[in-house]
Amino acid sequence: MEQIALNNTLPRVFAGLHGIHSDIWQQQVTFERGKRYLISAESGTGKSSMCSYIYGYRQDYSGSIAFDSQDIRSMTVAQWCDVRQRHIAYLPQDMRLFDELTAMENVELKNRLTGFKDRDEILKLFEAMGIPDKVDSLASKLSIGQQQRVAIIRALCQPYDFIMLDEPVSHLDEENNRTVADIIVNEASRQGAGIIATSVGNHLQMDVDTIFNL
Amino acid sequence: MKDIIWKLLRQHISKGQLIGFAIANLIGLTIVLLAVQFYRDIKPVFSDEESFISKDYLIITRAVTGAGAMMGNNGEFSDSDISDLEHQPWCRQVGRFLNSDFAIDAQLGVGTGHAMRTQFFFEAIPDEFIDIDPNAWGFTSAKPEVPVVISRDYLSLYNFGFAATQGMPKISEGQAEMLPLEFTLSGNGKRQVMPGRIVGFSNRLNTVIVPQEFMEWANQTFGTGVAQQPQRLIVEVSKPGDIKIEEYMDEHHYEVAGDKMSSSKANYFLTVVSAIVIAVGIIISLLSFFVLMLSIYLLLQKNTRKLQDLLLLGYSPSQVSRHYILLVIGLNAAVLVLGILLMLVGRMAYMDMIHAFGISGSGIGISVLVGILIMGAITAGNIRAIRQKINSLWLHEK
Repeated sequence: MEQIALNNTLPRVFAGLHGIHSDIWQQQVTFERGKRYLISAESGTGKSSMCSYIYGYRQDYSGSIAFDSQDIRSMTVAQWCDVRQRHIAYLPQDMRLFDELTAMENVELKNRLTGFKDRDEILKLFEAMGIPDKVDSLASKLSIGQQQRVAIIRALCQPYDFIMLDEPVSHLDEENNRTVADIIVNEASRQGAGIIATSVGNHLQMDVDTIFNL
Repeated sequence: MKDIIWKLLRQHISKGQLIGFAIANLIGLTIVLLAVQFYRDIKPVFSDEESFISKDYLIITRAVTGAGAMMGNNGEFSDSDISDLEHQPWCRQVGRFLNSDFAIDAQLGVGTGHAMRTQFFFEAIPDEFIDIDPNAWGFTSAKPEVPVVISRDYLSLYNFGFAATQGMPKISEGQAEMLPLEFTLSGNGKRQVMPGRIVGFSNRLNTVIVPQEFMEWANQTFGTGVAQQPQRLIVEVSKPGDIKIEEYMDEHHYEVAGDKMSSSKANYFLTVVSAIVIAVGIIISLLSFFVLMLSIYLLLQKNTRKLQDLLLLGYSPSQVSRHYILLVIGLNAAVLVLGILLMLVGRMAYMDMIHAFGISGSGIGISVLVGILIMGAITAGNIRAIRQKINSLWLHEK
């Protein structure tokens, strides 16, 4: 997948509202593979909605979204599974870890689907993220910041053309932010993938090609 | 590894509900299977494959009424009666019972020194209405021996009514066929003694049947020579249970002898009762099916978030639903196996009774097939519901 294009897209809840000033909504926007994007937004402006549209689990929008030239509304379930396993990695804002599984099990749940990393590589990521002692802890016992890092590791356990991160560092301090950003940028560069990160204030600390204000 | 998903998805599985379903369905299925099996086992008792008169035959007489007797109606069937009968759509052919027109004296030896002597009678019907070994059946005046077929009731009457109270030995059918029997035929100024032999027992014919050729010879030799009309007819019909037959018989005041009609009635009631029992079993099975459906819906509802998250990770709906489908298949297969086992246990309980009727029961193939069909249908319904429910989780907002 080379590009994701938003064509005059608008969440249905915003329909009829006047004075929408957005770099994304009701615009022609193209995210290209290999580039880095920051979407800066205030809360309630629909950045999680945008992520859910692109990830195919919500369709409550007008306008269209296309992967390369295919309108994503026309994609089959099998195509979506392929996108989620191989083309777009996604970190939801609320992480969506399974509380009853350990950190490692949460990561393996994704990795067994893609077979992308071996156990050592995953353990190295835990270490790099500064949470090597949390591998076997239940997700429910982790702090939000720790959960955020586990969820990022999980998102990295797949091949992708784009990695879409919804507020990846909202609960991380400056130092951890930099560590996480380095890891993500490294991993993405290695695959030649694009990065789309959203933020309501605490930006992922990386050089970006374009900043959109939502 | 595989266990991780199951570890997630088995959350909220209610063992109580599943056991409740399994028991309810087991009860329903067992009732259905037992009813089907019982019906198939007991059916031969009511059909007449055993008796030497095949099952499509009716024996009819005129109803004996006081008025009829006064009017000089002696219960005979006229040629036009018979011709009318032969033209009915359900009638294949009509055979006439030929009565003996001479005196018969029978002597039966039982044990040493005992002999029973009685006045006797014979009837004959055309050979094509009799299904018996032709070697034992038939008669030649050159080597006179009279083969007879008697009602099985006569033997029972002797064994249970007479022998039991008079200190006489009971005799089996095999022994009875070896009994020394002697008939003294007289009339028309002649008298002849000839040996006889019982060659078979009938459940159906409440009379003593001899070969027609013997009867014709004997009537000619000892009879008055007056041609007589038959008082009983044997009718081969295409459908014994046909209601039109009963209507015709009522209209003409004919009576159907023996257990033919009552057997077809009993057969009818057996069918009705079996159908009711099977229906009850199916209703229980259906209800339990809904219990399982409800349980699965609740389970999926409670696990909605987890299922959606798995789908977001890239798991396909079929990968996610597979675990629940396997659970349902396992559960239903266990119910099926247990249901068949319970049916076999139940069957053992009534088989003694079936054996007492002298039949061996039929195979269990059909019942097993019915069980597989029912559980197959229930499982298919469950799987469909699971798939639909999980597919409905695919989109969070349309």
